[in-house]
This record gives sequence, structure tokens and C-alpha cells, in this order.
Amino acid sequence: MIKLYDYVLSVNCYKQRLMMSILDVEYETVPVDFFPGWEHKGEEFRKINPLGHIPVIDDDGYILWDAHAILVYLAAKYDPSGRWYPTGDPGLLGETASWMLFAEGTTNTASAARLCVNLGYDFDLEACQAGAHRLFRVLDEHLWFREREGREWVCSGAHPTIADIALFPDVVLSEEGGISRLDYPALRRWTDRVKRIPGFEGMPGIFPASRGVEV
Amino acid sequence: MTADPFTMWHPVASEHDVPYRHVHHGQLLGRELAVWRADDDFVNVWENRCLHRGLRLSIGSNDGTELRCQYHGWRYANRSAGCTYIPAHPADAPARTICNRTFPSVERYGLIWSGESPVGEPPTVDVLEAGTPFGLRNLPVHASAELAVRHLQAHRFLPSGRLGAESAAMSVEWADEYAVALTATTDTDDGSASTAVFFVQPVDSGRSVIRAVLAETPAASEQMAVLRHHATELNGLVARIEAEAALLPAPEPMVPVLQQVPLHLAEVPEAPSGRQAALRVQVRRKWETAAGVAAFELAPIEGVLPTFQPGAHIDVHLPNGLVRQYSITNGPGETSYYRLGVKLEPDSTGGSVCLHETVREGDVLAISEPRNNFPLRRDSMRTILLAGGIGITPLLAMAQSLDRMSLAFELHCFAQSAEHTAFSDVLDGLGESVVRHLGLPPDETVAEIRRLVATPDEFTHVYVCGPGPMLEAARREAAEAGWPDDHVHFEYFKNTTEIDDSSTFEVALARSALTVTVPSGSTILEVLRESGVPLPSSCEQGACGTCVATVLEGEPDHQDVYLNDSDHEAGDRIMTCVSRALSDRLVLDL
Amino acid sequence: MAGANGECQNGAVLDQWHPLGAIDEAEPNVVHVTRLLGESISFAVTPEGRSAVWRTRGDLAAGMPVDPESVAGTLPSRCEFLYVWTSLGDPPERSFDIPEFFEPDRRNFNACTIGLRTSAPRAVENFLDMGHFPFVHDGLLGSEPRTEVVDYNVHVDGDTNEVWATECQFWQPAASATATEGQMVDYVYRIMQPYSILLYKSCPAAPERMDLIGLFVQATSEEHCRGHMFLSLIDDESSIGHIRRFVQTIFAQDVPIIENQNPKRLPLDPQAETPIRSDRASILYRRWLSDLGVTYAVIPAA
Repeated sequence: MIKLYDYVLSVNCYKQRLMMSILDVEYETVPVDFFPGWEHKGEEFRKINPLGHIPVIDDDGYILWDAHAILVYLAAKYDPSGRWYPTGDPGLLGETASWMLFAEGTTNTASAARLCVNLGYDFDLEACQAGAHRLFRVLDEHLWFREREGREWVCSGAHPTIADIALFPDVVLSEEGGISRLDYPALRRWTDRVKRIPGFEGMPGIFPASRGVEV
Repeated sequence: MTADPFTMWHPVASEHDVPYRHVHHGQLLGRELAVWRADDDFVNVWENRCLHRGLRLSIGSNDGTELRCQYHGWRYANRSAGCTYIPAHPADAPARTICNRTFPSVERYGLIWSGESPVGEPPTVDVLEAGTPFGLRNLPVHASAELAVRHLQAHRFLPSGRLGAESAAMSVEWADEYAVALTATTDTDDGSASTAVFFVQPVDSGRSVIRAVLAETPAASEQMAVLRHHATELNGLVARIEAEAALLPAPEPMVPVLQQVPLHLAEVPEAPSGRQAALRVQVRRKWETAAGVAAFELAPIEGVLPTFQPGAHIDVHLPNGLVRQYSITNGPGETSYYRLGVKLEPDSTGGSVCLHETVREGDVLAISEPRNNFPLRRDSMRTILLAGGIGITPLLAMAQSLDRMSLAFELHCFAQSAEHTAFSDVLDGLGESVVRHLGLPPDETVAEIRRLVATPDEFTHVYVCGPGPMLEAARREAAEAGWPDDHVHFEYFKNTTEIDDSSTFEVALARSALTVTVPSGSTILEVLRESGVPLPSSCEQGACGTCVATVLEGEPDHQDVYLNDSDHEAGDRIMTCVSRALSDRLVLDL
Repeated sequence: MAGANGECQNGAVLDQWHPLGAIDEAEPNVVHVTRLLGESISFAVTPEGRSAVWRTRGDLAAGMPVDPESVAGTLPSRCEFLYVWTSLGDPPERSFDIPEFFEPDRRNFNACTIGLRTSAPRAVENFLDMGHFPFVHDGLLGSEPRTEVVDYNVHVDGDTNEVWATECQFWQPAASATATEGQMVDYVYRIMQPYSILLYKSCPAAPERMDLIGLFVQATSEEHCRGHMFLSLIDDESSIGHIRRFVQTIFAQDVPIIENQNPKRLPLDPQAETPIRSDRASILYRRWLSDLGVTYAVIPAA
């Protein structure tokens, strides 16, 4: 069974839990005392990941770190439909990769701001917040146009991809880092849609969406 | 002269912002708004603040009929914003007047219009009235509305259909404090032109949203290109506006005044007084819902109807002078009318005959505000609803609420036949939770009730409404099966007890320091009213529970059917419309 | 009430003891910088657990080595109940007592310190509230439809002037880190000072004793604070990591709620919000803050 080295309040660990919950993959967590214990910076943990960060997965001896890399691996291996990581469609795959890189930006701004405010990390909070707003403006416009095209997800296909999973936690918890989503109504609607994906699971701080309209 | 922005209509959202089951987070003139569309397409514009603890309602959930606050699960009704349920006190009906602050809402040109206290109607724009309006992407701007409007007058775009043109001649059709209308014309021979109206929503002193509408909808094949063209041009404009705004001193944010809640809500709630008919409604629809049962939809003449909860009833003041009580059968969110079911009782004193024969569609009736003496707990693991005949009415409202909340329930309908089952269409919509028991003779009805209540359960509540003999049977069978009194709830149509009003006794009012004598032939309620102590009342025959008073001293002579046996034994409450005293004197907490 | 630079001018608050951080988590003999009541405050602890606290100054920057006992011009300070405490006014000799803390079989530790974008009293009032359990802590501290808050008692203790809410009960599906099935749980709440609250909760491991969970709030400004979550438990089975995860999960569920209250400062005007019977404790808390003369991080009644 997959082992996930996990911290319950980490958005990057949550991305893996969410993906595995949606793909209905069985896994167990190995809790890491991230805060206030800083266990991931300790010598023991560095034997698993010399970079000293989480999440890390251990899939029957195959070890992989970096949140977005793990998403690629999980979707490629455990989604038989091939839709979450669409290797069969080069155009869509390129888009997915592009938005995964964009998600590195939201993680390094929006989610970094949350670490500053909640856990007292010594980052430049104002720079993180301003950076997140710049990215959210782009993403809001992008998602507004997707809606006009009759699409619901970040990439242009009819089905969500790992890019939605990579972006969602950074966006939905942004207000904890002092980044309001008042100016981003399309972004807010998209978070409702992600919450309605079958198999969706939240993390502390994320509330479920109301039932959608039955089709 | 500058118009007062607080008395003007402003766009607060576009129709794209309010899909079903979503709550849009908006802001106007510094005040945050929660904007949500109910399943009946009414768009609610509310202050973004639950009255209880100030929580933003925009993080709550829209279930299509009600908005639920995320903090304590308080539910607020579509349209009226009245509170319909407080989960921390599931046995109590919420005070009717707990109501969130609402603002007017009108959909026009694909935008939702509202305002702090807007006068008249939202603006009418000739070019949009005459055209086929097409909404563009809205853009937030970190600048005042004034600055945005100034820059918009120099805004440039290309006419739809001529997006390949090098440039277009721009003309300002008109402009005011919060809107600019521009026409772009290409100087080619065909003279293609497009007009767009740019409304500017003043979000706060230093923030706005540009909401643009094209006068004519482009051909379907061109729409995406037109939208992208305008988005590109507007993004450029916004960058220029924000560059200028960044050089100006940041204005002080606007501080909206939060209204105080009424004093009576800040303190212990007081009972409403009098048997009043404050509301005027119109019979919007009248139809036969079952053999001998007329259904009525009562719509407000103006404004919105007060909030009701499942189990609530209203007094209907009839044209013949009688006052009768009827349960509201509506499900949650059906807030634009009250739906009643009235069974024809030819032998009665004339209430149902009047409604069946005299009252027509279009008639105006006086009704009381809803009152709930039969509240539904929604903290049970299971709820059993037993309806006899027309007793379906309050239970129908309950069943729809439970269904909406996905709580387990069974609704047992006892009726003479399928033709005698009222509101079958609504029952059909409740699926397998509804069990029909048709044409059972009285002894089999009792046997069925015995079976249904055979196993008392701490986490189950039973609600019964129907004719007297059925209620008596249910009361007896539940008691014999060992149900605690407070798990079985009854609503009587009427009190068939023969009232003995021969006694004479004294009533002292502890809080008013007043003592009166109640002579034989008069009721406590009547004597108190004559003495200037108004008590609320409704049925005035000991069935509905409205005129209850707390007994501090003395022994009541209970003659009502509202209180249960344990309540009667406890002797600490009395129905002042029928009950009297066994002791010489009663002291009431009034 | 705050001055031009946001510094607190409210005597009733200045004279209180305020927490700055967990002793265990502060590297000894090093300058730590934090904020309190709108001012930058520095502190350091000795390896033996003694402390020095001072208004931040240029020659002692964050991270510099320092001998705490050599710092001049310090503020009152004490190391007590796991934390370094200080006061910017004239504090009482003792803050409050927690006799249970000294029982030998208890495990006392800081579960977490979390920064919040709201006022300290909003955080305290949320901690005092049971009605939100099924909606905010679904599946852990409450679960629909078991939503009823049964009536409980409240009083202000005449000797200590502390607010108590007693005989509180709530149905919980997983009341603690060790619980496996639902139960009615007994609670007692105790507010010792304007921004500090303790919860006594029936203890699964020892039915006749209570676990203690404290929320000691450091008001960094009127609308920002840091919550220090204090635990004193009778539980020799669970690992500290396991308990921390449970408590941090609960705390993180509360964060988006209390950060979305408007206004952020706690309004003391009874007509500002709509209390119901289950809010008796918070009604008394608000009135008690008014009576103490607290004007900082609240909106005083007119």
C-alpha cells in the first residue's frame, strides 16, 4: 500500500490525499510532526527525503517527493481512464503541464502567505500576497472564458485534470493568508465545482459545497 | 449637482455570477453582500453577515431554497431572509423577526441591480432596451468609480464583426457618474458600429467593478472573439487606471453602518400580543386538491410574506367574520405564497363552507402572521409523521423540510381513498418516505398506529395530526408502548372537550401587580383583555397553544388539548382561552 | 482603543499578563521578537526556564545571542504554565491558578501556536461556543442532526472575578484523540482573563477527572492575534504527535470561521448581534469585558 508522509495542515500533502481519494486509491499516512516539531528537518526524515520537505510517497519501495510530481505519478499509474493526466492527448497534456507550472506559482505565493500568517514563517508576506493576486487575476479571467466555452475546468477538456487538483488547495485556503477572493468570482465558482467532484475530500479549513442541481 | 450614490441603483453582480446553488461574494459602497439565486430564480441580495455572530454568509451554502450559515447552521429563507431554523434549539420555533438585512434586487441587461436605499427603478438604457444586450467580462479595478469613469470615456474598442480593423472612431454617447456609453465606428464604407455601455459599480472608495454590456449580441460564431477582444482592451484600460490610482493617496475605506438588531432580540424574547390580522393577501390560485378539499395559494399584495417554519399556522379572517386556523403546507423556500388545504365541513359553524363556496381567486383576505406551536425538531435520527385525512397539512410542510435536509422520516397518510388524499402531487415528489394507508376502518387504523409506534426510541420523534379519535388513539398507543411524552407531538384541529366554565376564581398577575376575578361564563383571556392585558391568541378553544401563560401558584383546571398529560400534571402552564382554576386563586407570570 | 501607531492605551488590558510563546519552543539565550498590543516585543529564556522581556530595540535584533539575565530595562515577566508571559502595565502578583497542572500524572504541552487574522476576544468567544461543533467540526466534535445545546449555567466567581460556564453537555462523535464512538461529553468553561480561557472536559481515561484545554491568546494588535493552545491531559496512550494532530485539525477548522466574522473586533453592544439561549456564556463574557473596562480589540457598547 502507498505510504504518504503527511502533515494534516499542509496544502501540498492535501493535494495527494485529495487525488487518492478521488481515484479511490488505498493508502496509509505516516504523520510527520511538521509544526511545531519540525520533524521534516530532522536527520531521520532526511534519510527519506534529503531536501527535508513533505509530502513524500513510498509506493511499495518507490519513493517520490515534490507535490506536483507525485500528482503526475498517481494519476499516470492509478487512473485507468487516463483523463486526470491525459497522456493520450498531446495538446491537453501540454496544457496540463503548463497549469502545473502555474500552480508552482500559486503555491509559492498564496500558500506561502498562509504559512506566514498561521505558522509564523518569515517570508515577505506582502510580496506573497501581491504575487498571489497577480496570478489569481489571470486564473479568474481564464476560468471565466472556460465557462463561456461551456467548460468547467482549468484545462480545455471536459474532465478535470491534475492541474485542478494542484491549484485548488492554494486557491481555496488563500484567505487564511490574507488573500481575499472577493475580486475573483469565477475562481470562487470553480472551487464549488471542484468540491462536487465525486470522491472529493476536504481538509481542515475547507467546507463542503451545497448539493449541486440534479441534472 | 452630484447624485447621492446611496439612493441610486448599482449593478452588484452579473447573471454569470449567480448560478444555482452558489453564493456570490459582492460589495457595494463598502458594504459586503451575499448574492444568491434560489431555484425559483429569485436573486437575493443580502448583507453578507449572519445576524447571530456576524459570519459572512458568502461562505455558507445555498441549497436552492434557503441559505445556511456555516457557523451554527441557521437557515434563512429565500426572499424574506427570515430565520427558519436554529439547530442549537431544535424544539423552539425561531423568533419570527430574526431576519437578515435584505436589499432590493432587479435583473436587467444581464446584471443584478441593487442599492443601499435606491429610489424608483433601476436605470433604463434606450440602446439596451432596443437592442439584444450581451454581457462582457466584468473587471475589478483598484481605483475609484470616478477615476474608472473618467478613463472609460477615452476607452477604445472595435465593432463586433470588424475585429480585424486597424482602428475605429470612438464617440461618447452619454456619460454620468457611474456609466459611460461608447460607440465604435469603422471608417470603412459599410460604417460598421457597435455600442457598449460600461456600468461602474462603486465597490469601495478605492475599488470598482466595470460591468460592460454590448447593445447587440454578436453572431454565435464570433462571440468568443468579441469577448476576448473586449477583455484585452479592458485589461489594458484597467492597467492604465490602476497606474494612475497608484500615484494618488489611498482613500479611506468606506465604513458601512451595521444595523442594530431590535432590542427584543438582544434580550429575552417576548410573546407577540393580540389576535391580529396584520397581513393582507390575495387568493392567487384555488383548486380542488382532493375530494372535498380546496387548496389555496395566498400571495402577498405587496412586499414579502413573513417567514414560516414547518408546523406553523395562520389565522384566516373570513369575509363572514369568523377566524379560522390553517396550517401552512409549503416546503422550504416556497416563500412567495402560503399554500393551505381546507376540508369542507358542512356541519361546522361555517368557516370551511365560506372558504369553499364564497372565497374566489383574486379575493383579498386578512391573515395573521404565521405562528408555530407545532415546531419540528430536526435533530432526530428518525421522524415518524402520522397524518389522518386533512391532518396532512402541517405534516406535509415538515416532510418537505426533512426531505430537503436529507433527514430520515416516514410520512404515513391515512385517508379514505386516493381521491381523498390531498396534495398527492407533492406526496409523489417525496418518494418512498410516504406510505399511504387507504380505506382502513377505524379499528384497523388503530391497529396500524399501534404497529407504527410499537418501539419507542430515544432518537425518534413522532408527530401526529388528524381527527380527534385518531389523535386519542395515537396518544394512547404511544403511551402504552412507553414513549416519553416529549417525543410525541400532536396538533389538534379543534378541542372537542366540553368546556365547563362554571367556576369563579381570582387571577393575580405577578409582573403587572394586577388581580382580577374571572366569573363563570368568562375566560381568563377575555377578562385579561378587558383589563388591558393583551395576550396573543389564535383558536380560542384550547387547541393551538398560542395563549399559553406560565403558572407561578395555584392549581389549573386544564380543559385544553394542546398540552400533554405530563404538562397537565406539572401544572406550570395554562391555556388561558379555556382552562380555569381548581384553587381559588392562580398567580400567572404576566 | 489604540493610539496613533496602534499601541494599546487601555489600562484594563495593559495591566494583564499576556503570553508571548511556549518556553520549550524558544531556543535559550537567543533574542525572539514578537508583537503584543500593537508593539514590537522581544524576549529570551535561559536554559533553566527563566525569562526576560523588553520592548524591541536595535542593539538586540532577532536571532542574536543574549544572556537574558543581563538585559536592562526589562518588562515584568514570568515563565508559567508552559509560556513566557509579560505585561505592558502594572500587572497583579498572580495571573490565575491551574492546580491540576501540577498533578504528577498529567502531560502538559503546547499543542500549537497559530496566527489569526481576527481579534483575541472573537477567538475566545468561539472557543466558548458549543453550537458550532456539528457544522465546523463535523465528525469530530459534533455531527448533524445531534445539534441541540442543552441549557447550562453561567456565573462570575465572586472571589476570582472569573467567568464560569458549568454543566455544559454536548453530543460528540469523537470527542478526543482516543475516542472511538459517540458520547455525551461534559464541559466546564472558565475565562480567567480577557483573552485567556480554559476548558475542562470529561476525560476518557479517568472518568472522575477532567482534561484541560486552554486557549491563551496573544493580542498582537486589535484585529490580529496568536492563539497558544495549552493541553494538560491524563492520557498515557496517545503520542504527543497524535494529540497535536487532533487539536491542530480542530483549530484549523475554526480558522476560516473566526476570520470571516464581521466586524473583527468583538462588539459589546447587546444589540450588535442576536444571542440565543445557548449563547448565555458569551453574553456573560461580553458583559464581563464591559464591566472590566476592556476597550481594546472590542467595540465598546455606546
